Amino acid sequence: MSPTEPDDNMIPEGDDFIAAEYVLGVIPQQERREVARRIETDKPFADLVARWQTQLDPLNDEYDAAQAPQHLKSRIDQRLFAIEVAASSSFWNNIAFWRGLAFAALAFAVIGIGRDLIERPARIREQLVASMETQGSSVRTLAIFDDQTKKLKVTVVSGDIPKDRSLELWLIAGNEAPVSLGLMVSPQVTEFNLSSPLLAKLRDGTTLALTLEPVGGAPGGAPTGPIVAAGVVRKI
Amino acid sequence: MTPEGISELISRVSLRDRAAFDVLYAATSAKLFGVCLRVLGNRTEAEDALQDIYVKIWNKAGRFAVADTSPISWLVAIARNHCIDILRSRKPAAVELDQAAAVSEPSPNPEQAAVASGEAQRIYDCLGRLEADRAAAVRGAYLNGDSYEVLASRHKVPLNTMRTWLRRSLIKLKECLEG
Repeated sequence: MSPTEPDDNMIPEGDDFIAAEYVLGVIPQQERREVARRIETDKPFADLVARWQTQLDPLNDEYDAAQAPQHLKSRIDQRLFAIEVAASSSFWNNIAFWRGLAFAALAFAVIGIGRDLIERPARIREQLVASMETQGSSVRTLAIFDDQTKKLKVTVVSGDIPKDRSLELWLIAGNEAPVSLGLMVSPQVTEFNLSSPLLAKLRDGTTLALTLEPVGGAPGGAPTGPIVAAGVVRKI
Repeated sequence: MTPEGISELISRVSLRDRAAFDVLYAATSAKLFGVCLRVLGNRTEAEDALQDIYVKIWNKAGRFAVADTSPISWLVAIARNHCIDILRSRKPAAVELDQAAAVSEPSPNPEQAAVASGEAQRIYDCLGRLEADRAAAVRGAYLNGDSYEVLASRHKVPLNTMRTWLRRSLIKLKECLEG
């Protein structure tokens, strides 16, 4: 013990310490419940808790992001909404909403939001995005074109991807035949490289679609399986 | 995604906007799943917990507006508190103690500490001023949800001593952070 340590008897237990103990999480269940109730009703005490939380927040960086299994989001939706997932598609087409978000950073965010979240400055610029879904399919995906890397990132937001088939992404410009952009290689996020001619076709109004194909993709270069998700590219 | 982007999503979720909920999930679930895995140390429980956590987020989103905190801190706090509640309710203390003896607390990843900036750097500086085992107890409690019993067992001190350690450490930490 160093001589500068204060005498323990001189330190009041105090609400501040109780708040810190709660934020750290060290206390037993019964005490935790009581403190949690107090936070609801005692504003000055709740402020002490919030202050400790803010001070310890930087430690959150040490939690490494880990991709959750794909099926969880569908289960959450079932628990919350208990109806088919495709009901609320109108939101996806609400451009004002999308534009309101500082959306440029989402492509980083879906991979993991550690420091990106804290440090990345808001960049609001036009961006090409497409939400893809279709009736009768639980698969919902989000495609975002990264203007810097020139890659199209497709994220499966919810729905189950069959393991014994491949999902193939198609670009459909106007009345032209679908052109394959490649296969989804990850159940979470896949990046697609686009050749220059295809880059030119990826613009507001272009359709993107995912079809279910034999493993390895449609053999003849044209889609053979059902569409599991489709959407129109929007500039936001 | 920026904090502003996440805040916007949470307030949309409070208005029952399911598309915003989808995007919020896509943007934040990996981080929160990381919290669950670390605190619960068990994949199946972590998966169940993550579902409960997003159900809570959907239901409690309206309260974010009055919380004086960054959006990701708010989300992580929901996840941490939920997981710690599970930890406290599921484990008979004896089992916890067995595990405590086996686990040694990892030091902060040096790379992580090196790139930590601003506020993050500050808390590591302040933790660095504590004796090493006391700093480890604070980190272990916060990051892994260690209880007093677990900490006391791991550091081989009586429970009351651990409580005193922690109290002194927190007072010093607070002086340093606010000083």
